[in-house]
Amino acid sequence: YYVTASYREKKLESSLSLLQNAVDEYNKAKNDFAAKATEEEMRLLRFQRKLDDEKGAGLLGLSLQVTMETLLSLGLHKQAEQLYRDFKVPDKRYWWLKLKSLAEKEEWEELEKF
Amino acid sequence: MAAHLSYGKVNLNILREAARKDLREFLDKCAGSKAIVWDEYLTGPFGLIAQYSLLKEHEVEKMFTLKSGKLPNADVKNIIFFVRPRLELMDIIAKNVQSEDRLHSSRDFHILFVPRRSMLCEQRLKDQGVLGSFINMDEYILDLIPYDGDLLSMEYESAFRECYLENDQTSLYHTAKGLMTLQALYGTIPQIYGKGDCARHVANMMLRMKREFAGIQNQILPVFDTLLLLDRNVDLLTPLATQLTYEGLIDEIYGINNGYVKLPPEKFAQMKQGEASKDPPTEPKKLQLNSAEELYAEIRDKNFNAVGAALSKKAKIISAAFEERHNAKTVGEIKQFVSQLPHMQAARSSLANHTSIAELVKDITTSEAFFDSLTVEQEFMTGVDTDKVNTYIEDCIAQKDPLIKILRLVCMQSVCNNGLKQKVLDYYKREILQTYGYEHILTLHNLEKVGLLKPQTSSRNNYPTIRKTLKLWMEDANEQNPNDISYVYSGYAPLSIRLTQVLARPGWRSIEEVLKMLPGPHFEERQQLPSGLHKKRQQGENRTTLVFFLGGVTYAEISALRFLSQMEDSGMEYIIATTKLINGTTWIKTLMEGISWSPK
Repeated sequence: YYVTASYREKKLESSLSLLQNAVDEYNKAKNDFAAKATEEEMRLLRFQRKLDDEKGAGLLGLSLQVTMETLLSLGLHKQAEQLYRDFKVPDKRYWWLKLKSLAEKEEWEELEKF
Repeated sequence: MAAHLSYGKVNLNILREAARKDLREFLDKCAGSKAIVWDEYLTGPFGLIAQYSLLKEHEVEKMFTLKSGKLPNADVKNIIFFVRPRLELMDIIAKNVQSEDRLHSSRDFHILFVPRRSMLCEQRLKDQGVLGSFINMDEYILDLIPYDGDLLSMEYESAFRECYLENDQTSLYHTAKGLMTLQALYGTIPQIYGKGDCARHVANMMLRMKREFAGIQNQILPVFDTLLLLDRNVDLLTPLATQLTYEGLIDEIYGINNGYVKLPPEKFAQMKQGEASKDPPTEPKKLQLNSAEELYAEIRDKNFNAVGAALSKKAKIISAAFEERHNAKTVGEIKQFVSQLPHMQAARSSLANHTSIAELVKDITTSEAFFDSLTVEQEFMTGVDTDKVNTYIEDCIAQKDPLIKILRLVCMQSVCNNGLKQKVLDYYKREILQTYGYEHILTLHNLEKVGLLKPQTSSRNNYPTIRKTLKLWMEDANEQNPNDISYVYSGYAPLSIRLTQVLARPGWRSIEEVLKMLPGPHFEERQQLPSGLHKKRQQGENRTTLVFFLGGVTYAEISALRFLSQMEDSGMEYIIATTKLINGTTWIKTLMEGISWSPK
């Protein structure tokens, strides 16, 4: 099973290629949802690596929600916003997250803005 | 010590004694002093059979847990491994033996496989070159373990996963074997009913095993009149719901394992009267829970809302009993009072324990979160808005509540709606993957495979029909003085127990339609008794049914069956057997895939 194998894999490159195999298998099995979810995971991994390289944010392997949470707490609002749009996160969940993180950091001014 | 096993209508102590006898015989085969190396998983179930004192009588001096590496030092002649037949455990044993061989040579090694020996494991030991080191290699057949006066469990946790997810029927074989052992001790069970694919398999295996023993007639007067085999997947809904009986809630909140519960110690610190406990205990308090404790037997099956009243009533009785001493005038009276003291003191400490537990449980049940989830559960069960995305579940995901809680609720919605609309299902799945991580996609696959989550295939939802025919929802459930089994979930009557109830009266023929909607075949078999063993039933004598839940049973379901046994006009007593005692959380856990991200 490719998904399990990809988690055992230490190197990101090979994980990604295993996940690609998983996508192919899911497509063959006509499981659209799983294929799409796997593609999204690959996109997320690539995004996380890019940010890790640029900012050393330590995001790799986190779930989308936790990634956004971390970005917000690091003050990287733009990047979080980008994920929110790219991955079509439901508004409700994102606002919850944003409110919570701003409140925790007591950035009341930012909070006022929306 | 095991008196609680013999209180019931069927004396389960016979079974326990048989199990102990086998154990003694094996221990006596290894002459001299012994050390036992335990597969850790087995210690719990074994505790229900034999205490350390029994082992000690047979020269067991040391006990260790099986670990890789060297064996701890022990000055004994025999080393006995008690293990499940698993290949990975064989490798550990081989290492243990090899390291030991280099040091001493005069040790005798033995293996006891529980519950069956396996060729594969022996081959593995041979490959490792240690098979010859073992003097005795035996199996200890421990299928059905007496758990309480009316309850047998195989303590076989992965049975549901193996049967429904992995198509592995080993557990069914053990079940059939266990039932054969039971029949050897308690007589052939004349009538067998069943519902579900696994039930069918078990019944087939039993009948085949019986044919293989043809010629040997069992001459014991049957104790059980009927056996009912039920697949867990006939009723997926019940374990998902939060149990509302006292015992059920303790299990939901703290988890009861092999009859023991571990509780946070703070509440128990102050009440140890002068028992040298000045320091606050840091270890969790471990309590054994079974019907040997009079008070617990009385309140375990009650709806939690009725427990408070029962406890305060008990408190009054106990203090009244202590007051008696002022009335004792003659020496004889005082003597009588003193002789009752130990009993009264035990009752008092048991009361104190349960008052503390009830307080702990109450803290949880009165919390807002508990109330909110319960409301949503009850909405699903009554069929309110089960076809669209539920806002409460959405909020829970947004706040990253424990994943299992989310899964329980989503599965429940799916079961109550006979599958979710594709759009709704995909939405939930996406929310879960994005919040808790992509790795859970495998868990979601598993839940779909066993039918807990599914897309709606036909436009007809047959859950409302089932609910109405079987009266699964009772509006006016009476929690204090129940008149129906629905009290165990404050309104919801467990489907599995309704099936049992209808079978006793008026019979399954009356609900043919509903049975067809539930998965798997339903069937009836008869086992011939030798002539002369047909019981001549006396007027008013109760019949006894053994209900076997394949894939697990919850404490609340057990409570419901006990309630039925006690109903005056039911004419039926129930003994319960299962592969494992479960609740929604432990059950879902066995279906999850435990992989996590390795650092890259």
